[in-house]
Amino acid sequence: MHLGWRWEALKNGFRDATAYRVEFLFEILGSALVPASIQLVFWYALFKVGGSQTIAGLTHADLLTYTWVSMLFTQVRGGDHDFELQELIRTGQLSQYLLRPVGVVEFTYIRGLAPRLFIAALSLSAGSLIAFFLKLSIYKIFAAMTLALLGNVIHYQIGASLATSAFLWEEAYSVLMIKNMAVNFLSGELIPLNLFPESMTWMWKYTPFYLYVYGPTQYALGRWSDAEFFHALILALLWIVLGFFMIRLSWSWGIKKYLSLGG
Amino acid sequence: MSPIIEVENISRSFRSTKKTQGSWGTWKLLWKPEFQVREALKDVSFTLEEGTFNGLIGANGAGKTTLLKILTGLIPPSSGKARVLGLEPFQRSFKFRHSISLVMGQKAQLWWDLPAIDAFDLLRAIYEIPSRIYQERLQTLANLLDVSKHLNTQIRRLSLGERMKMELIGAILHWPKVIFLDEPTIGLDVLAASKLRDFLKVFNAQEKATIILTSHNMDDIEKLCSRVLIMQSGKLIYDGRPAKLTHEGERRLKVRFFEAPSLQELQETTGIAQDLIECEHNQDDRSFHFSLKQERIVSVLQSLLNKYHVIDMGIEEQSLEKVIQRIYENELSGTQESHFKT
Repeated sequence: MHLGWRWEALKNGFRDATAYRVEFLFEILGSALVPASIQLVFWYALFKVGGSQTIAGLTHADLLTYTWVSMLFTQVRGGDHDFELQELIRTGQLSQYLLRPVGVVEFTYIRGLAPRLFIAALSLSAGSLIAFFLKLSIYKIFAAMTLALLGNVIHYQIGASLATSAFLWEEAYSVLMIKNMAVNFLSGELIPLNLFPESMTWMWKYTPFYLYVYGPTQYALGRWSDAEFFHALILALLWIVLGFFMIRLSWSWGIKKYLSLGG
Repeated sequence: MSPIIEVENISRSFRSTKKTQGSWGTWKLLWKPEFQVREALKDVSFTLEEGTFNGLIGANGAGKTTLLKILTGLIPPSSGKARVLGLEPFQRSFKFRHSISLVMGQKAQLWWDLPAIDAFDLLRAIYEIPSRIYQERLQTLANLLDVSKHLNTQIRRLSLGERMKMELIGAILHWPKVIFLDEPTIGLDVLAASKLRDFLKVFNAQEKATIILTSHNMDDIEKLCSRVLIMQSGKLIYDGRPAKLTHEGERRLKVRFFEAPSLQELQETTGIAQDLIECEHNQDDRSFHFSLKQERIVSVLQSLLNKYHVIDMGIEEQSLEKVIQRIYENELSGTQESHFKT
């Protein structure tokens, strides 16, 4: 695989994302703090106002720890480059990418990946501090970040496949929004997934979303064994292989319907 | 010399939903959409030789952009065959994408928030241009287009003309063999458009690149193209030299009268329809232009001299702009000018 253009696209993606520093900073802080704040309010209501001692075997302190550590991975799970793909299809801007000798799906991913990698590096620095204070294994945090990055790939692959519905319906915004709402809930970024009642665990177990935040957080907190982590890692790789074929199939179908509208 | 572009009996139709007016139309579209089929291209055939500069013109909706999209491989034809550089465009092979370029005046290809130099660096990597050659080309192109001092400025902060020049540099940095230009001078001021034209002329002459240009600006076509293809309602109605188009068309007979007659009187005297007689309102309202075939000039002049006091006269070549304008008007009124096709 020739890295030349990929490296340049990554560099440009980073320059593009950070062209407006304040906007970039607010984006990171906003999307980290909002889900964390929701969790903190939720835990306060349950434990301090409602008077609960434990929920699903977890204490207030356990859930607070989950909230802090999950913030490290929430930011890495994915950007909006699948939305960008659907917009390219809808507006006909896809044409300019189709004429370049690079794959448009891969190019769009790499361009959007740069800020995520930067955030992953920041999160690892923050994770080192958290590990020190909470007496967690720094190695586990690094390993968990690897899983979160694989989650980033899966998240994009699903989005890129769904975005092809814009070839048929011209607009795939709602489809991608529904996917993102499901991800918000089923990835564990709003609540730990072990709060789900036993009868409803299938909802997240049969999706790859829990590999984005819940899985990495559980491993970083030492609540998953190494065996469970490696199992999750293999599952993530299998999802990536599946995602690769999903993209090949959906794009080769969709591109035949492309009209290159708008000019 | 074998043709670099071959188009054989290409047709293309589009299906779209049909929305009737008002709220009822919206509801109907939601529950029982109706579709309409529009034929954008009808049985178009032509070939283009290597290194030529070709104009593709026609009124809005005539099928120019659809033809460009088929030739660049963005959409396939409904029927017929197209080959560019001996390759089928819609397969979009790596070699094909390496050898062509499309510049759309209305669509930005460069990164809005980055300076052009960053985008060019990426293109260098994409097209695997060796660094030394890249530097030489970039310097040459930036100098020719007079944008060297703007290479490090964020694209969004450039003027439209400067941006268009950067787009053009980005489109040809890899030295494509075939360049498709869709309205490259749209929105540019006279100076910027002229510089862009000069540049395209030099590039075509030096690099022997085949260029296909669509433009509503007849200056672009007249000054650049050795051959022009005119589309009308999806059909190719003219394929030849621009000069031939104006020669084959009508002459403009300019006559200045001592006293200006009315258009009605002039029509009755000459037998030329009023819409082919033009009064020079802004300069001298006693001067009139008659659009007519060369063989009629003598008889029309005789009838005018017999009836009016003529103080000056002259014959001008019909401008390409006027000829094209007439073709477009005929398209709007539904008249086919198929006699143009050579």
